[in-house]
Amino acid sequence: MSARPPVYVTGMGVICAGANHVGELRDLLAHPVAHFHPPTVLPIKHPSGELPVAQAALIEAGEAAGLPRTHRLALMAAREAVGAGPLPDAIVLGSTTGGIAATESALEVGITSPEAFRCHGLDTVALHLAKAFGVRGPVITISTACSSAAVALSVAAALLRAGLAWRVLAGGADSLSRLTFHGFRQLQLVATNGCMPLDANRAGMTVGEGAGFLVLETAPDERPVLAVLAGTGLSCDAYHVTRPHPEGKGAVLAMRRALADAGLEPRAIGYVNLHGTGTPDNDAAEARAMKQVFSDAQPALSSTKGLTGHALAAAGGIEAVISILALRDGLLPANTGLETLDASLGISPVRAPTQAPLSAVLSNSFGFGGNNACVIFEKAPPSPSPHPSPRYAGREDPRATTGEVPPGSGLPALRIAASACLTARGGRDETWNALLSRESTAGLVPDAAFSKAAPATFVRRLKRLPRLMLALAQTVQTASGWTTPPETIAVGTAWGPLAETQEFLRKLFESGDQFSSPMDFIGSVHNAPAGQIALLLGSQAPNLTCSAGERSFSQVLLCGSLHIASGAGSALVVAAEAFEPRLSPLFEPEVAGTPLVSDGGAAFFLVPDDGAPGARLRWLGEGGNDGAVALVDRLAGVIPHHDAVVVGIPAGHTLAKDPAYARLSQLLPPATIVTYRDQLGQHASVGATAAAIAVRAVAEGRLPFPDVPIALPHRRLLLLEFGPRLTAIEVFA
Amino acid sequence: MTAQTDPLVPELARKLVDTLGLDLVPETVDPAAPLFGAGLGIDSIDLLELVVLIEKDYGVKIDNRAAGVEAFASLNALAAFIRQRRPASPV
Repeated sequence: MSARPPVYVTGMGVICAGANHVGELRDLLAHPVAHFHPPTVLPIKHPSGELPVAQAALIEAGEAAGLPRTHRLALMAAREAVGAGPLPDAIVLGSTTGGIAATESALEVGITSPEAFRCHGLDTVALHLAKAFGVRGPVITISTACSSAAVALSVAAALLRAGLAWRVLAGGADSLSRLTFHGFRQLQLVATNGCMPLDANRAGMTVGEGAGFLVLETAPDERPVLAVLAGTGLSCDAYHVTRPHPEGKGAVLAMRRALADAGLEPRAIGYVNLHGTGTPDNDAAEARAMKQVFSDAQPALSSTKGLTGHALAAAGGIEAVISILALRDGLLPANTGLETLDASLGISPVRAPTQAPLSAVLSNSFGFGGNNACVIFEKAPPSPSPHPSPRYAGREDPRATTGEVPPGSGLPALRIAASACLTARGGRDETWNALLSRESTAGLVPDAAFSKAAPATFVRRLKRLPRLMLALAQTVQTASGWTTPPETIAVGTAWGPLAETQEFLRKLFESGDQFSSPMDFIGSVHNAPAGQIALLLGSQAPNLTCSAGERSFSQVLLCGSLHIASGAGSALVVAAEAFEPRLSPLFEPEVAGTPLVSDGGAAFFLVPDDGAPGARLRWLGEGGNDGAVALVDRLAGVIPHHDAVVVGIPAGHTLAKDPAYARLSQLLPPATIVTYRDQLGQHASVGATAAAIAVRAVAEGRLPFPDVPIALPHRRLLLLEFGPRLTAIEVFA
Repeated sequence: MTAQTDPLVPELARKLVDTLGLDLVPETVDPAAPLFGAGLGIDSIDLLELVVLIEKDYGVKIDNRAAGVEAFASLNALAAFIRQRRPASPV
């Protein structure tokens, strides 16, 4: 831990209610006045729509017109963070809303043109930023509800420490939407008179919106260092789908893990920015957690959500900026909204903005699914280590543009203790046998293949995606022979729980925005299946959900690998999709237009490579823009060691226009490039299924497709997934 | 009590089982047993689902803890709660 490089913050950008940039947020913290009003960006069809929200001003960015609100909020804050400085080569973005606000409007009036839904996917927010900044490396989307941005900062730090990126743009963005606004309202979690964190009369949160981003790097060249991201900690309550553990057990774990990661004692922390949503349960649990972690020596603390509202996935990004401003200026932010302190909490927040020197601050972010994340910032060293001397000028980093690979590229391979998949044929054995018989495994997974994984009482409220995921997770946990739950859970899904989203919106629209199902809202959150897996397996480990189109599986494998590289003893990696008859054809018209619509996915129980026999799985890279060709070039040296290159080509992806595929074709004789989607079916997580088949293939020494089984003398397969960006993994035995 | 069961009780039992996906025959739900914390396996999320259902189907709001405690004491209590507060039927 001592030898690892520090992660420096060299840029930040923010937008939230009352502040369009960092300077305005600094003024707002000095003169805190909340501006909570009924929304003007959501239709109000019922008196319930007049509840106050924290709406951002969102000055229109000209070229961004036509994009959904989340994308525009993200672009504004990201532009401020990057500024005129060097461009990032990776992005880790937290979001829960993506283009849902635009989707809601289109669905309500019955628009059926898929063009109207092109920006629905969470991935499109980060892809838009990646295009704006020409990002060549990983572009990761984290969706862990209200902890998303803080989890994104944790993943960004791990990427940098593993040497997989030079400079990461990390944070979160979420806009107001009817799904979240009415969802929280139906859960009776919204305060009618604005959020009052820690107040004896607190009655809930104020739903907000915004974006907050940091630029993080380990070797800053050009820009002054604003702070050091000293440590991060993740955990899962594994207690309840929405309510925090009453004693704040998961929150305690996340804070202690962050302190250990930073190498700091609790007394080193001068200020804590609480999650502090203002709901009775959150504030009570968080106060108990604070007392356990800091005992009698409570640091200065406050929730700033009475000022900014709760910007959901963006909250951890906005509060990271607030924490860094506090550190930089020695300013303790006030607990705005507080009138009568709830004495039973036993903690005492900052009542008015106060000057105090600070050397380290901690920020908490918690979300549905019991998902907890904690980040710690330390003051920048007086002369950042060593004083930066520009090695290059301008925005283009020659290390990136020449294709120079960051030093740590190539994570260690992981041993596959168990793997499983689900297709229209059933589990892996049935799928494998069908493929050997030249039969397609496309189609929807039959209910019988996944319905018995968990007790009926456990799954009674769950729809298709969480049930598929639970079956996959349970299968590999059992088959692994490990009796302890996984030490990281990483779940990938491009589209999330669509049936829940569709049902929630249908009921909402049918009742004129008056009623919908609280259960469906909870279930619609992208990380709901991951939370269910944690509950089923009893795992308080870091719990991540990536939602990045076809790259979701590659990204959860990356997250699992990063956690194992930093000491986790095991990782459960799952990726799956569930077809939904109304929404899937709108969101993925090309895929839904295939003769047989498909869903399913795969799971892997991964452990460090301990030399035991069995197959291995290794994340090799992700590239976009000219970084995709650079990735193929980088792989050119290892490709001869592979028996075949197994290629996923999503329906609708035009290979003829893909320069990375052109480069691959130059490198390889066509016979060694094998496509699999014709056999396995088209869905965004079918790359995971292909990997599970590859595991069996390298074990048996033969690949069961395309036409004639291919012998695998080296027992080594390279798997490439094409799409807006290229990902590469390898499977070998 | 058993002589004159409120017809709302079996109706509510059916809705309870359907909406919450309980693995039960509606007629077997004891109308005098607590809905929450007893054998039905109902949790706070289920109660919120019922809150929405009762407002949607009967026009009766349950928007504070005291009302929730009263309404969810049992199926009988829920039926009585709805009868007391139900807006006058137009028919």
